[in-house]
Amino acid sequence: MGETFVFWVLAVVSVIAALGLVFSRKAVYSALMLGVVMLSLAVLYAVQDAPFLAVVQIIVYTGAVMMLFLFVLMMVGVDSSDSLVETIKGQRFWAVLAGLGFAVLLALGIGNAFIGPAKGLAAYPQNVPSLAELIFTRHVFAFEVTSALLITAALGAVVLAHRERLTPKLTQRDLARQRFKEFARTGRNPAPLPGPGTYARHNAIDKPALLPDGSIAAQSVNRYVARYEKAEGTLPPEVAQALESDSEALELEKE
Amino acid sequence: MEPIVEHSGGVIGASWLMIAFPLASAAILLLGGRRTNAWGHLLGVFAPVASFVVAVMCFLQPSGRYDVGLYDFIPGVAKVGLLIDPLSITFALLITGVGSLIHIYSIGYMAHDPERRRFFAYLNLFVAAMLLLVLADNYLVLFLGWEGVGLASYLLIGFWQFKPTAATAAKKAFVVNRVGDFGFLVGLFTIFATFGTFAFGPVFDNAAKASNGTLTAIGIMLLIGACGKSAQLPLQSWLLDAMEGPTPVSALIHAATMVTAGVYLVVRSGAAFFPEGATASLIVTIVGVATLLAGAIIGTAKDDIKKALAGSTMSQIGYMMLAAGLGPAGYAFAIAHLLTHGFFKADLFLGAGSVMHAMKDEVNMRRYGALRALMPVTFITFFIGYLAIIGFPLLSGYFTKDGIIETAMDSNAILGWLAVIGAGITGFYMSRVVFMTFFGSKRWADDVHPHESPSVMTWPLIILSIGSIFLGGYLILSNRLMVYLGPAVGLPEALPQFHPFSPTGLATLALVALGAAIAWVRYGSAEVPQVAPRGSFLTTFARRDLYGDALNEALLMRPGQWLTRLAVWFDNKGVDGVVNGLAAGIGGSSGRLRRIQTGFVRSYALSIFVGAAVLVGAWYVVGNL
Amino acid sequence: MTDTITAPTIEYLLLSPLLVVFGAAIVGVLVEAFAPRYLRAAFQVPLTLLSLVAAFALVIFVVVKDGVPNKAAAMGAVAADGPALFIWGTILLLAFVSVLLIGDDFVPSAVAVPGSVEEERAVSEGAAHTEVYPLVLFAVGGMLLFAASNDLLVMFVALEVMSLPLYMLCGLARRRRLLSQEAAMKYFLLGAFSSAFFLYGTALLYGYAGSIDLSKISTSLSSVGGQDSLLFIGAAVLGVGLFFKIGAVPFQMWKPDVYQGAPTPITALMASGTLVAAFGALLRVFWVALGNLEWDWSPVVWAVAILTMVVGAILAITQTDIKRMLAYSSIAHAGFILTAVVATAGAKQNSLALSGILFYLVAYGLTTVGAFGVVTMVRDPGGEAWHLSRWAGLGKRSPKLAMVLAFFLLAMAGIPLTSGFFAKYAVFSAAVSGGAVALVVVGVVASAIAAFFYVRVIVLMFFSDPAADGPSIVMPIATRGVVGFAALATVVLGVFPQPVLDLASKAAQSLFVR
Repeated sequence: MGETFVFWVLAVVSVIAALGLVFSRKAVYSALMLGVVMLSLAVLYAVQDAPFLAVVQIIVYTGAVMMLFLFVLMMVGVDSSDSLVETIKGQRFWAVLAGLGFAVLLALGIGNAFIGPAKGLAAYPQNVPSLAELIFTRHVFAFEVTSALLITAALGAVVLAHRERLTPKLTQRDLARQRFKEFARTGRNPAPLPGPGTYARHNAIDKPALLPDGSIAAQSVNRYVARYEKAEGTLPPEVAQALESDSEALELEKE
Repeated sequence: MEPIVEHSGGVIGASWLMIAFPLASAAILLLGGRRTNAWGHLLGVFAPVASFVVAVMCFLQPSGRYDVGLYDFIPGVAKVGLLIDPLSITFALLITGVGSLIHIYSIGYMAHDPERRRFFAYLNLFVAAMLLLVLADNYLVLFLGWEGVGLASYLLIGFWQFKPTAATAAKKAFVVNRVGDFGFLVGLFTIFATFGTFAFGPVFDNAAKASNGTLTAIGIMLLIGACGKSAQLPLQSWLLDAMEGPTPVSALIHAATMVTAGVYLVVRSGAAFFPEGATASLIVTIVGVATLLAGAIIGTAKDDIKKALAGSTMSQIGYMMLAAGLGPAGYAFAIAHLLTHGFFKADLFLGAGSVMHAMKDEVNMRRYGALRALMPVTFITFFIGYLAIIGFPLLSGYFTKDGIIETAMDSNAILGWLAVIGAGITGFYMSRVVFMTFFGSKRWADDVHPHESPSVMTWPLIILSIGSIFLGGYLILSNRLMVYLGPAVGLPEALPQFHPFSPTGLATLALVALGAAIAWVRYGSAEVPQVAPRGSFLTTFARRDLYGDALNEALLMRPGQWLTRLAVWFDNKGVDGVVNGLAAGIGGSSGRLRRIQTGFVRSYALSIFVGAAVLVGAWYVVGNL
Repeated sequence: MTDTITAPTIEYLLLSPLLVVFGAAIVGVLVEAFAPRYLRAAFQVPLTLLSLVAAFALVIFVVVKDGVPNKAAAMGAVAADGPALFIWGTILLLAFVSVLLIGDDFVPSAVAVPGSVEEERAVSEGAAHTEVYPLVLFAVGGMLLFAASNDLLVMFVALEVMSLPLYMLCGLARRRRLLSQEAAMKYFLLGAFSSAFFLYGTALLYGYAGSIDLSKISTSLSSVGGQDSLLFIGAAVLGVGLFFKIGAVPFQMWKPDVYQGAPTPITALMASGTLVAAFGALLRVFWVALGNLEWDWSPVVWAVAILTMVVGAILAITQTDIKRMLAYSSIAHAGFILTAVVATAGAKQNSLALSGILFYLVAYGLTTVGAFGVVTMVRDPGGEAWHLSRWAGLGKRSPKLAMVLAFFLLAMAGIPLTSGFFAKYAVFSAAVSGGAVALVVVGVVASAIAAFFYVRVIVLMFFSDPAADGPSIVMPIATRGVVGFAALATVVLGVFPQPVLDLASKAAQSLFVR
């Protein structure tokens, strides 16, 4: 009875989360929804006498895989979104039709099937040792061969992402030299951007440094934040003014 | 006839090497390209000689009929295997023996041809195909060799393809042979439909069970094939044109080996499809007699030495066909004549080649004359060949041709007398060739300096002329060949006795002597005009190959052209309409289907998804039926 | 429940070909990790070739030593039986010749943006991804296992082990890189999609039979009642995954794009080795697991076979890229082989059909590797001369190469005296004796349509005038050897097929292990 109750609650939660995962416009929301789905599944496993699976589900999927997703989203950028305009004629129509058809077929087929009582667990009273026995005897070969898959994945990641260094690495000295040469040529400030400074009243990243006269030090404006705020329309007018008066900062913005 | 027994291992088991040597050599020479130019001809000569050695070793094995299975080509339908029996070994010896001599001779003859290697490759291909033809243990593989011979002969006739006449002659030979092949193919299908197999053994064993009509039909169809390959009436027209090939060599193939394929086919199938007294056999004899007379008549009027000899080839093959239609009594004589003819005709052709070599490739005999002193070896060997072919007593042709005439006489007096007349005409036209070439006065231009040929060319001549002298007597006296071939082709009820001076033999000799005498009066003692006189109606008739080409043109080509035009019209309007419509339909549907392939992965995924849904649905429906 | 686990028994000798290939792949990865860059190719190429040869030798050794085995090895995970060993030998042979084709077809630096300065620098530095060799070995190992897996779990793992390196390799073409990357992406997405189907089918079948062993599924067909719909849906969905791998219609869409985009040696490997492995797995599922269910699946496979033959042949007609054309031809050939898959009835008929299929796979695999080998030889300044119009007049420019390609195409069309003829003859005659006459009629019609586009290429090569700036011919010695070997095999199997036919029927005699 308890199992049934938990199932119906979590089934609703996980299906809603799954729908949210698909239909959410923001990638981070989708990722979080995925986390909800996975956690719900983990609980379901646990309720169904599969503690090992439940734990693995949480550790591997929710813990590792989900985090990887989020890392990737952070690196690629949260605001990049795909165009959702469908250009292929009939694609949506047929997709919906096929999806509904498939769902109806499955519902009909599996709904019609007579599912007997659960079997298998009786022979394996303890979950973890039984799994261990299966993995290390009957399925040892599949288990071992999976390593080939993992090696391939690692190797593939190396091939696709690793940039072989073809030129010698630049040292601090080289970089400093470069910066000053640049300064000599274009007058670009060789020093790092200034921090909030003595007169600032906040040290948050989006607050520019103040000069002794209370005006804004244009150089200290974080251009990423500024660009974002400009796009959102929340760029404080005094910052905008400071940026406009500083030609160098404008140039930076163009980059 | 002895039953055919399976055999493997030993010398007989290695008989496939006979075919493998020349085939491999041809492959090496053709694929190797110019790299093999330097030594190509040596390899080309080595191959048939090696095959000859294998053939001799097979010959020395205990006589019997061995089936050497090589492999199943299509399991249960077509097996590739060799039948080693006295008949096939006899042919193999002739092909590789005379073939080797041709190869050796060609080293000298083709010495100055830049494409000599290619020439040797084709010769090897020819030898391999011919061996496959005679060694096959079933009709399908025989047909493979048959077509191979056709191909090689096409390549060799057209070897000098820069000469339009050679190219045309090659095409003509190919087309005429195709007509024969078509008949052969129909026969082949009928054989398979009747017996369910192509293999000689089962076909021959079960032949008696098939209906008479079927056997006759198969016989006639095979005969059409034989007529094509052996240049028998009415498919004789290609042989004379085939003389356009590199002079004596491809001509020789068309005299000593290839044209005997038809005789082989008839003798091989004899017991089953051409039994004594059957309709098919009668047709064979009629074709043989008609051809022997036609060939002889054509030979009398030709001024081109090679064409005169080609006419004589037709005529001699006619004799063999005649004998082959006479049942077991005739088979041995047919084969014996085939063997001796292989020698003396090769001798004559090579001699003619030698003369042409000396005369700057002049082929018109009216521009020869008085060559006997200048080319003594050629003259003597040619003269021996001449004596052999006209049946001079105690030379090869005397024994074998006389045997055919005697057997024909025993079977049917009309056939016999026609064969005797043919022998008389042979006496005339062969004497004419010899007198016009070697006797009389010199008629050649001043810038021609006749000389004896190099020894690489004369030695084959000498060997062949020795065979021309003795082979016939050896084969016929005490019925050696007949007894040897007995297990393969059957024996007549009573072995014939050789009568040196039977009435028929005397009559033949008398007619031959008469023919030779007329020739002496016309071409030996009298002056031969350098330009052919107009001659009588009969001469023109013979010069024009008995209007064979005109007949072909009127009866076959013109109606054929009309038929073709009609067919083309029908094809354009009807068949092509349908075919083009179909093609357009398929192409159009291809274009439409192609549009489904949009290149977008989501569209592909959708198609997989739809496919999966349909598949699951279909399976579900089928499963619940 | 005991506290001790008995150690599993692994038949190392039987599995040695697999283990050698996987072992060599791992050694190859270590070489990548530790050997200096300039030495890697010198290690990888011999290592890869030697391991393939050694694995092949081990297959022969296994058979010679103990005869054809017929057992489930590694605790029932891997089937070591006649067909498996035959397929292993075939895949290893095909992989060997495909690896020999690898020349300058791979991108020097996959991470560099196509056409960028960085790419140019990588080219001039002579950089190379020698990782392709271990990747190929992993793929080959996956193929071997895929065709020999005895339960659905191993089959799924093998499917992934086989596919994942191929997804990678597809995107590494040196020229037309965007096309290549697109192909890899498509192959990956669609492959993952089809894997999902496969896995779902596995789950449903497990739900039905309570086991993922092929043989146990087979025995439960008669003992389990009331869940037929589970079985049907599970089998159908599993079938989708397998049909995708052989490229049967309507799951064929990926094939032309991927074959076109992948580096040609990899295309050759996929067109030969993957197809062989996929058919091995397909046969195992349909004949062993669903062997007693053929009345239910054969109509469906009939329909798929007909669609595959017809669509493959028809669509090939309008192709202008030679690799795409060969891809569609490969689809059509998959359909031809399917005609023998449905020709089941009794042990004798089954072994006849199986030997036909095995022969077909060898013959077609070698011919297709040869054809792709020729494709690598005909070069434009920008890489392979892919557009068919560039092949016009090749017969005049390079008669031997054109003749060899013409010969391969004729073999694919099934002209007598080529291996293709006997291959078609073997599967069609098996189909006829299995009662699938209508299917054979469709097959012959499709062959006729297919002959059209093969002959069209031949006509184009020999009866058109060559373009003035036509492609040049590049003939590395290894490629020449591969093409020569493939041509020789096509001739020998066409004239003298008996030994291989015997071998195939011997391998097929005991059928699959149950």
